[in-house]
Amino acid sequence: MSVMDLLAAVRDADERHRIFAERLEDPLAYEVEHAFHFSAKDNLCTSDFQARAGSRILEGYRPPFDATAVARLRQAGGLLIGKTNMDEFGFGSFSTNSATGVPRNPYDAARSCGGSSGGAAAAASMLEGHLAVGVSTGGSISCPASFCGVVGLTPTYGRVSRWGLIDYGNSLDKIGLLSASSGMIRRYLPAISGPDPLDPTSQVQPPLDMSGQIRSVAVPEEALTGLSGSMRAAFEDAVARLERMGVEVRRGAMPALRFALSAYYILATAEASTNLARYCGMRYGDIEQETDQSFNEFFSRVRSRGLGREAKRRILLGTFCRMVGFRDRYYIKALQVRELIIREYEEQFRSVDAVLTPTMPFVAPRFDEIESMSALETYQADFLTGPPNLAGLPHISIPCAYIDGLPAGMQLVAPRWEEGRLLSLAERWENGFEYRRPEGRA
Amino acid sequence: MRIGLEVHVQLPTRSKLFCSCSTSGDEVNSSVCPICLGFPGSRPRLNRKALEMGVSIAKFLNCDINEKVWFSRKTYFYPDLVKNFQITQYETPLGKDGFFTIGGRRIGIWRVHIEEDPGRIKRAGRSGEEVALVDYNRSGVPLVEIVTAPDLTSPEEARAFLTDLLIELRRLIGLSPNDETTVRADANISVGEERVEIKNINGLKSIEKGLKFEAKRQSKLLAAGKKISRETRRFDEERGTTLPSREKEFEEDYGYIGEPDLGTFTIGPMARAMKLPETPLARAARLEAEYGLAPTSARQIVLTSWELADMFEALARRAGSETATTWTLGAISAQWMELQERYGGRLEETIVPIIDDVRSGAITDAEARMRIAILAGKGSEAAKPLSSEDLGPLVSRLVDSNPDVVRDFRSNPRAANFLIGQVMKETHGRYASKEISEAIRKELEKRV
Amino acid sequence: MDEGTVRRVAKVSRLDLTDDEVSIYAADLEDILSAFAVLDEAPTGEDFDLDPVPVEDRLRDDEVMAYPDPGRLRREMRTADGWVRGPRLA
Repeated sequence: MSVMDLLAAVRDADERHRIFAERLEDPLAYEVEHAFHFSAKDNLCTSDFQARAGSRILEGYRPPFDATAVARLRQAGGLLIGKTNMDEFGFGSFSTNSATGVPRNPYDAARSCGGSSGGAAAAASMLEGHLAVGVSTGGSISCPASFCGVVGLTPTYGRVSRWGLIDYGNSLDKIGLLSASSGMIRRYLPAISGPDPLDPTSQVQPPLDMSGQIRSVAVPEEALTGLSGSMRAAFEDAVARLERMGVEVRRGAMPALRFALSAYYILATAEASTNLARYCGMRYGDIEQETDQSFNEFFSRVRSRGLGREAKRRILLGTFCRMVGFRDRYYIKALQVRELIIREYEEQFRSVDAVLTPTMPFVAPRFDEIESMSALETYQADFLTGPPNLAGLPHISIPCAYIDGLPAGMQLVAPRWEEGRLLSLAERWENGFEYRRPEGRA
Repeated sequence: MRIGLEVHVQLPTRSKLFCSCSTSGDEVNSSVCPICLGFPGSRPRLNRKALEMGVSIAKFLNCDINEKVWFSRKTYFYPDLVKNFQITQYETPLGKDGFFTIGGRRIGIWRVHIEEDPGRIKRAGRSGEEVALVDYNRSGVPLVEIVTAPDLTSPEEARAFLTDLLIELRRLIGLSPNDETTVRADANISVGEERVEIKNINGLKSIEKGLKFEAKRQSKLLAAGKKISRETRRFDEERGTTLPSREKEFEEDYGYIGEPDLGTFTIGPMARAMKLPETPLARAARLEAEYGLAPTSARQIVLTSWELADMFEALARRAGSETATTWTLGAISAQWMELQERYGGRLEETIVPIIDDVRSGAITDAEARMRIAILAGKGSEAAKPLSSEDLGPLVSRLVDSNPDVVRDFRSNPRAANFLIGQVMKETHGRYASKEISEAIRKELEKRV
Repeated sequence: MDEGTVRRVAKVSRLDLTDDEVSIYAADLEDILSAFAVLDEAPTGEDFDLDPVPVEDRLRDDEVMAYPDPGRLRREMRTADGWVRGPRLA
């Protein structure tokens, strides 16, 4: 594709699907020698764009440094074409909680891209040869990958340095990759992985092994309750196809999974409520000019006007869960539940190579459907993506069906550090399953 | 009266606790980076040296060391706190349940942990409407927090506790020269039943002053039959009073959670492998026990200089403690500054032979004193003897002003050593030690 | 969660909420906390870690590396003679 064509494609896709919070508009910039183009979710810091993480409170903030993952992709020859839209600070499953633009689904603009890496999934879906850097805390890569019909890989916690990532939940956040198929991810995952002196949690990983294979999977029965009828059928078709590929499928139970989502929301919001404390109008982003008010009023005023509705809800929830008197019942208990979930997965991995479930219980919902969902219903949509995220395990969402023309994904969860097996399986899957691309893709 | 302290002392590392910025910045907001300014996307990395210093303090204070520790976020909103949470330690301090002995009394140590310092606030504008001007050079500087049991019984004792603690920490980890003014404490004090907390007092003097004021205030209230309300106050340095702290309008809920970005640290093996150096007051106690030195003399020797104590021990091993005391507290300490300036680091090898000569009878006391004076660069003037009429009144005056020595002398003749040292100091080693000790013994015996 | 609790948590979080917001959040959070009650049944042990993958003894040496351009950071903030300007303290 010529430079002008690429620029036109990016502009066109963005205009129709509101993918970018900010994008490269200078045609000359595209002329720069590059091996591939990529985008970064807007909660990743780069010095050439604002980093607002979907929030008004970071309006105007241009970071003084690049996130390690972005810096490494640039070193690998990547051209950063823009920052993708997202739910504010990652708070959402539909990318509707955003101050910078709500991305629209490539298959149906009246539907959501999923979230919180919605813009990233839309970019991966709409742009040929594109690599989108996303971030998952509780499913924010898998979910939009499923809704936008792309492959989304969430690596093991600590595999990719979080230096330069605007925190949501530090014990849960993972930087990963989305692309139309697994090839780009396979090629560039090694580039962004590896220890980074700037992030202690990245320093305990073994080298990436891309040779792993998946020969057997477990399908926990808990994952199949609460699915729409068509989703259930589509998933069973995918299971049958995997069996035909020679993958052994075992039906089993993972009873502890029912605790995972609550534990996830407690830890995520408890950590988020402390991470967001720093946004108070004094040091970056939306700076409050009027200092003639007491510090409590000053901070409250800035935060109340700069943070969105869902951000406030999660701050309230997270703050409550760590307050004296509630902390043991919620926060500490959630930490203990995480150990339980990790053990439950380890138990499965003694006999199978991965755990298989659908990615989401339904296909991309329409915006009007989303509006009528309660907060709790929205949270419950993450019940399949929450558990591996809570446990810090690598997982991948692979398009496995099209229901009334809308894509749906299946999710595979592997043991720690086994990203390689997930990508091997995706590659094999792609040999026999043809992805349908959205109209207008360039 | 019960007083408990939460003492904050800066750890003398080169770089900050969680970033590589220098701990000393000249210009305002010059030693700062995205980490210590809490910029979004930055994250902390723990300074090994700070952790080691903290562990050595916990071990020194006889604490039970936690095998594995982690850090926590303490969330509260204030302009000097860049993330509006402080990275500190909550469930797992480095050590707990230790003690520190002052004046023979054990003061309980509840916990020892390390944490980051917030920035420094300068108040600007009209009183009551001051705005914050903040210098973040201090943001992220490592602190050790030492929390005592409420075992201190007076403001004076609280100050003595801090003085002794700083003496020991200086040797243990090497504090800054102005540690007595930079040490900070939150103090809780109860004269009656109810406890009042005084937040963030700076410096030894102010801590004692603040406590004294507060003790008096509480006593007055109690005497007038009034109740003391449980509250947080702050010390106003200029007025020397404590005032209700208006800034925290409601009880903060810090909502502690773990800090995942740092992981965990196994400090048990580190603590067990650590060999702590002997600290000054521990050494003074040993000098008392091993050589029968009076407490004040032992303290004087170790606090004058570590090398002086080395010399004392070298002399005591060769010539016995009496001779060592006489010479160390006399001619040697009288000219210690000069001696150290000229021969620092090799004083033992320089002076011990002189005393050896005295003991072998090769030279007299007076000659030895002269040699030491010459070493100190004082030459003949220092060696000029006074007439013995001058010694009498001096001794008698000193004995008069030290009634406790007279009392101790009855049961322990060594108590005289203290006076011998004083006279030697005052007369700059111009009298033979034998001459002085005889004059003192005579004088003391008159009064027994 | 009752409205009083929502107000108190909002105050701790430095958020000003309208009465409408308070009642909406109270209902939402009540729902969510009821769902969290499932955790009371979870057969957990006492142990926990802060990270899902053990991160142990990652330390840096005590070496000074000055940030190359603190002025760039100061420019994000409002300063007066280098001091960062903040709100009233009382």
